Amino acid sequence: MDKDTAIKIVDLYKNFGSQNVLNGINLEIKHGEITVIIGKSGGGKSVLMKHLISLLKPDMGEIWIDGVDITKLKERELNEVRKKFGMLFQEAALFDSMNVIDNVAFPLREHTKLPEKEIIRLAEEKLKNVGLSGFGYKMPSELSGGMKKRVGLARALINDPDIILFDEPTSALDPIISLTILDLIKETQERFKKTYVIISHDILGMFRIAHKVAMLYNGKIIEYGTPENVKKSENEEVKEFLKATGIPGFVGGVL
Amino acid sequence: MINLFSLDRIYHPATSVLRQLGGMALMFFSSIFYAFRRPWKLNYIFKQMEFIGVKSLGVVLITGTFTGMVLAIQTYYGFRKFGAEGLVGATVALSMTRELGPVLTSLMVTGRAGSAIAAELGTMRVTEQIDALIVMALNPIKYLVTPRVIASFFMLPVLTIISDFVGIVGGWLVGVKLLGINEGAFINKMIKYVDLEDIYDGLIKSACFGIILSVVACYKGFYTAGGAEGVGRSTTESVVIASVSILVADYILTSLMF
Amino acid sequence: MKINRLSPELKVGIVVLIGFIILFYMSFKISKFGILSEKGYELQVYLENANGIDPKSPVLIAGVEIGRVKKVKLDNFKALVTLIIKEGVQIPSDSTIAIKTQGVLGDKYLEIIPGNDKKILAKGEMIKNVKAAPDFDEMFSEVSTAAKKFGNTIGEFQGLLGDKEKTSIKKSIENIQTITVEFKDIIKENKQSINSMITNADDTLKGLKKIVNDVEAGKGSLGMLVKDDRLYMDAKETMGALKSISKDIEEGKGLLGKLVKDDSLYNDAKDTVKNLKDLTDGIKKGDGTLGKLAKDESLYIETEKAMKKLQKGADGLSEMTPISILGTIFSFIF
Repeated sequence: MDKDTAIKIVDLYKNFGSQNVLNGINLEIKHGEITVIIGKSGGGKSVLMKHLISLLKPDMGEIWIDGVDITKLKERELNEVRKKFGMLFQEAALFDSMNVIDNVAFPLREHTKLPEKEIIRLAEEKLKNVGLSGFGYKMPSELSGGMKKRVGLARALINDPDIILFDEPTSALDPIISLTILDLIKETQERFKKTYVIISHDILGMFRIAHKVAMLYNGKIIEYGTPENVKKSENEEVKEFLKATGIPGFVGGVL
Repeated sequence: MINLFSLDRIYHPATSVLRQLGGMALMFFSSIFYAFRRPWKLNYIFKQMEFIGVKSLGVVLITGTFTGMVLAIQTYYGFRKFGAEGLVGATVALSMTRELGPVLTSLMVTGRAGSAIAAELGTMRVTEQIDALIVMALNPIKYLVTPRVIASFFMLPVLTIISDFVGIVGGWLVGVKLLGINEGAFINKMIKYVDLEDIYDGLIKSACFGIILSVVACYKGFYTAGGAEGVGRSTTESVVIASVSILVADYILTSLMF
Repeated sequence: MKINRLSPELKVGIVVLIGFIILFYMSFKISKFGILSEKGYELQVYLENANGIDPKSPVLIAGVEIGRVKKVKLDNFKALVTLIIKEGVQIPSDSTIAIKTQGVLGDKYLEIIPGNDKKILAKGEMIKNVKAAPDFDEMFSEVSTAAKKFGNTIGEFQGLLGDKEKTSIKKSIENIQTITVEFKDIIKENKQSINSMITNADDTLKGLKKIVNDVEAGKGSLGMLVKDDRLYMDAKETMGALKSISKDIEEGKGLLGKLVKDDSLYNDAKDTVKNLKDLTDGIKKGDGTLGKLAKDESLYIETEKAMKKLQKGADGLSEMTPISILGTIFSFIF
């Protein structure tokens, strides 16, 4: 395993009943890069992401993170690995029972012994990073979808994790809010140089920020490389998928 | 430890009665197991005690009082036929402490708090808040289930003894003040025929019911699948299953005790 | 953060405290004795039948609870009952214990009837005197036996009153008529003393009436009456005495003197007398004479009747079983 490889997935299989969702995934995700996994809705992207954080166990295969195969770990050891992760959920998954600042501070409160003042200071700083300073004492139900995602991002970043996972960060948002979220992702990544893994079907948006793109099709990674390489892919499925976006300049587009 | 919060359990929900029963038992045991593991989450437990116990107080007071009152009326007209009005107090007290106090309290708490637990956990599940906890390396059983089970276990007996008491007071009001039963007979027969065991057994029963209702509600909520509709289904199922289980358990416990 | 709100801990604490207060209050109310139970001392008693006696059944003296049953176990086919008696309650060693029933629910309790002995029962000692409880099943079977025997006795009586007896009744009546004539003279002479005698008799009658009423009401358990040999002996004796008296009367011997002087005999006679009305149709002839003399017609009539009946019944009575005595009493009454 290379030194600059953050996550290495080897021959990952997962079935739900008779349905083969993951059909032999092989992928290496580099340190300090934004890797986007694109694919159809319901094509197994979410399932793949849930394997990365061990919410699901594979039927077969290995997932190496920092030299450890997490599929073999017990729950207790897994929690040590999970502390290196942050995750932004599709609908932010803020705790409804807590206000914004408590949500952001929650991982610190549970995993560190920092004094309360320091925790609040760090949480407010992260809120400021995502442009929401002053919203600390609102409840999640009072926030819009885009704001929730920003709070979710703040919470994902609070522990200074090495790897941050994004589940459809731009879904269900209008184009302008989508752009601000994408900018925020790019900006924070450039600042902290962490490993970002994003799954999305929003090809256009993702090509703006991705360092690497992986195409998931029929439970397999059929294309992997820089956005430029993927755009020029000769793979039929990739072509078709890109064509469907109908954006000029893409393979099979109007041009 | 069996991995209770693997998402596989969501994608392959337990449908058979036996598997659900086993799942509930596992959830109960692991919630107890995590209760003894550091860090203690006392503030979580107190929050749930407030929600399950304190906030159910009103409904428990009302049902308890009226149950005692109606018991007094019913038994009065029955006992008057053979001149045993003096036994109304004893009957009300025995029925309340042994049976109606624990069972009605548990059913009311199931309806009020059990449904809320199932809905809350169900919502947390479908909005991935439970996944968020796991990703933060926090144990959702310890954070969500354990406080609720412990809070129910401790608060149900408290609510039950209050219900017993207001039920007897209600019976006294109707029997002595309204129907004019001899107060001395009312009180003395009550004291004579009610044993400490009647009260304590009732409280033990209610603690068991507390575990049943919280475990069922947590289980149903925790393994909710299918969005908002799934949350509604879980809530309904948790109330129905918990209520039926309480009545069945009541029979078993009663036959073991008395 | 929110200062004006009670913290959950405080609210929970208040509710739990209320619960505990209620629990302690109710427990204390119920277990007035339970708390003291360690301070009591134990006594034991063997019962033939401890049916209905459970641990915690109360033990009473004069209706006041002084202890509870601790345990009941079988020992040599008898029920060995252990009692816990409150400290400070002293029970004479010759006290009697009885199972009694109370309330509509038929709750059983133990009543101790204190004896007079100076010696006090100490911890662990045995109460030896047990008053047999009237077992209802047993009692009912005895009553039905008794009822059967009544029937027989009444049959015997009917047999007794054949033609021969009627004749002898007639004869007796004639005798009495003769006697009454003599009475007339005597009484004329002794009017004063007869009057006082009648007053005495009246008092006695009242007492008897009460006894009869009591028997009628079933007081003083039937079983005992049936079983009590002494009563039978008394009755037999009385009957014997009556027999000789009536013989004497028949013969005109002894006359009223004895009757007047022997109160208890008179009582017995009176008791019987009072209930013989139906046998006396023919006696009415004597009506007036003695009655007028005695200024108490009914008394006179009844005396008359008694004499006759006794005369006839006396022989048979002496051979009758105790139950027949009972039967006789009943047939007199009804």
